[in-house]
Amino acid sequence: MGKKELKVAFLLALRSLQRGSRSSTILTILIIGMCFTNMIFLPSMFSGIGQGITKQLVDYETSNVLVSPKSGDQYITDLDATLDLINGMPGVQRASPQYSKGATFKYRQRVLGVSVRAISPLDEKEVSPVYTKMVAGSYLGEGDTGEIIIGKPMAGDATVRQENEFQPSLGGVRVGDSITVEYGNGYMKDYRVKGIYYTGWSPVDNAAFVTWTDMEQVEGKMLDKADYITVKAKPGYSEQFIKNELLAYGVGVNGKVQTMTDLLSKSIGKVLQSFAIINLVSLIVSVIITTVVLFIVITIKTLNSRKQIGILRAIGVDKEVIMHNYGFQVMILGILGIILGIIITLVLAAYMSVHPIVTPEWSAYLYITPWDLFINSVILFCSAVVAGYVPAYQVSREDIQSAMRA
Amino acid sequence: MGNVEVRALDGVTLNIEKGEFLGITGASGSGKTTLLHLVGLLDSPTTGRIMIDGLDILHLTDYEKTMFRLYKLGYVFQDYALVPDLTVMENVSLPAMLRKDRTEAQVKKDSYGILQRIGLCDRKDHLPRELSGGQQQRVSIARAMVNRPDILFADEPCANLDSENSRMVLDLFHEINEDMKQTIVMVSHEDWHKEYFHRIVQLKDGRIMSDGINGTKAH
Repeated sequence: MGKKELKVAFLLALRSLQRGSRSSTILTILIIGMCFTNMIFLPSMFSGIGQGITKQLVDYETSNVLVSPKSGDQYITDLDATLDLINGMPGVQRASPQYSKGATFKYRQRVLGVSVRAISPLDEKEVSPVYTKMVAGSYLGEGDTGEIIIGKPMAGDATVRQENEFQPSLGGVRVGDSITVEYGNGYMKDYRVKGIYYTGWSPVDNAAFVTWTDMEQVEGKMLDKADYITVKAKPGYSEQFIKNELLAYGVGVNGKVQTMTDLLSKSIGKVLQSFAIINLVSLIVSVIITTVVLFIVITIKTLNSRKQIGILRAIGVDKEVIMHNYGFQVMILGILGIILGIIITLVLAAYMSVHPIVTPEWSAYLYITPWDLFINSVILFCSAVVAGYVPAYQVSREDIQSAMRA
Repeated sequence: MGNVEVRALDGVTLNIEKGEFLGITGASGSGKTTLLHLVGLLDSPTTGRIMIDGLDILHLTDYEKTMFRLYKLGYVFQDYALVPDLTVMENVSLPAMLRKDRTEAQVKKDSYGILQRIGLCDRKDHLPRELSGGQQQRVSIARAMVNRPDILFADEPCANLDSENSRMVLDLFHEINEDMKQTIVMVSHEDWHKEYFHRIVQLKDGRIMSDGINGTKAH
């Protein structure tokens, strides 16, 4: 097959698409575009959900590396020394401890069970972006006492009747209001609400934060222990590097060191596996639909052109040229369909980045990488070529006499 | 009935001389088109030999037959058989574009030259559907002639044309035969076409009934 033959095959293909049935061409491109969108939409949405959950976990729960109590221990002890050690290590931006205590919140006639988290606000600000999510009031200051910040869902809405609430709340707490908090150890204290935040991450939005100093008052002693320590890596340092450093410096003696990836594989690993199965099914279905549609389109085209194919062969056009003519047609249709699919997908991605699907647990947007677009394009293109070449091969091998009589 | 052997051609021996304008005539079903398709390499006989320029063409491979048709033979069909999505110029150029010994410039020059000869230069960018039947058949002749074939085969080229256009097409064949010494083998069942042929072979039930020199317009 020489250059001239390929040129003629391409000319025949191009002219057939340019001057043949426009509606059929547009419809085929549209179908391929939709198949591409279908191939990439669901997997990208699952990736978006996965990415969203991962980001929220990193932002509000684990940061890059989590130091938790050793198995059998309830707390990380010798906290001050451990924090000094971690904060002094290369690659660590900041380590922030948290200590939680169960409590009952009372506001007017409402009573609500809440986990109160004690934090060191300056450290926490470097590790978690909660301080950027204030919807009213302000974040805690380092020396604050008697002040609390609470999640928006917990604060509630005064205009919504209790029986109509999606989840139990305090019924419309506002900044400056006073809340009575009774801790599990029987300690009771009135707090002024300093701020209300909303992160979209349910476990944090249904918690409340007080300063470390405040919690020491609740415990009635200096707190040299924590439920866990979240460690933020400096830009350019990997989680694994930090984990290795922490273990090398002996933090592992005092607590269990896990990267965010370690934790993710345990917590949402199964979910991501399920997503991967659904993605694969979606991909296979889309590829089958595209292949079948293009097979039908090209088969109909070749059957309608049997006589013309016979004539072309009669005047000395080689069957390879005829086969590649249909092959080129399907390649052009495939490329245009894929371009349309990419445009549709990117428009959807842009729309969903502004209007994500939001649930109380997570928000979903389309997470699409150039690699996703490339690999799906290649898969779809290959299936299109196979779907086009099979009928083209069959019809190009037909006897000239039978083809001309068609 | 399905098991009854039907011989479309039986015992046909025919020599065609270079530069001859041969007419194959006969009633419908006499085997005219079958004979044309066999010598034109569009079909293969169950037995027998077909020699062109000393070459036994039945021993050629499928690809060699295709190339033989491209380089050595030209075809004109009764329904013009132009590619509907190509312009007149593209239709005419198509066989020349596939020849390995022609440059792009030569293809253009030859195609334009042949279009000039058939008087359709002004319609070169038109699609076949924008032309009359007679014009389409002239384009079909131009396509068949663009590679300057050794033999031009025409299968009832005037079957779909009125008498005026038929005469125009036959005059063109006559002109090509006279001016370019082009060998032409044409199938026809119209009596008045006979005046254009040098020689007429008449078939009946797959056999040659008569084979003789014609003494009319051709001479």
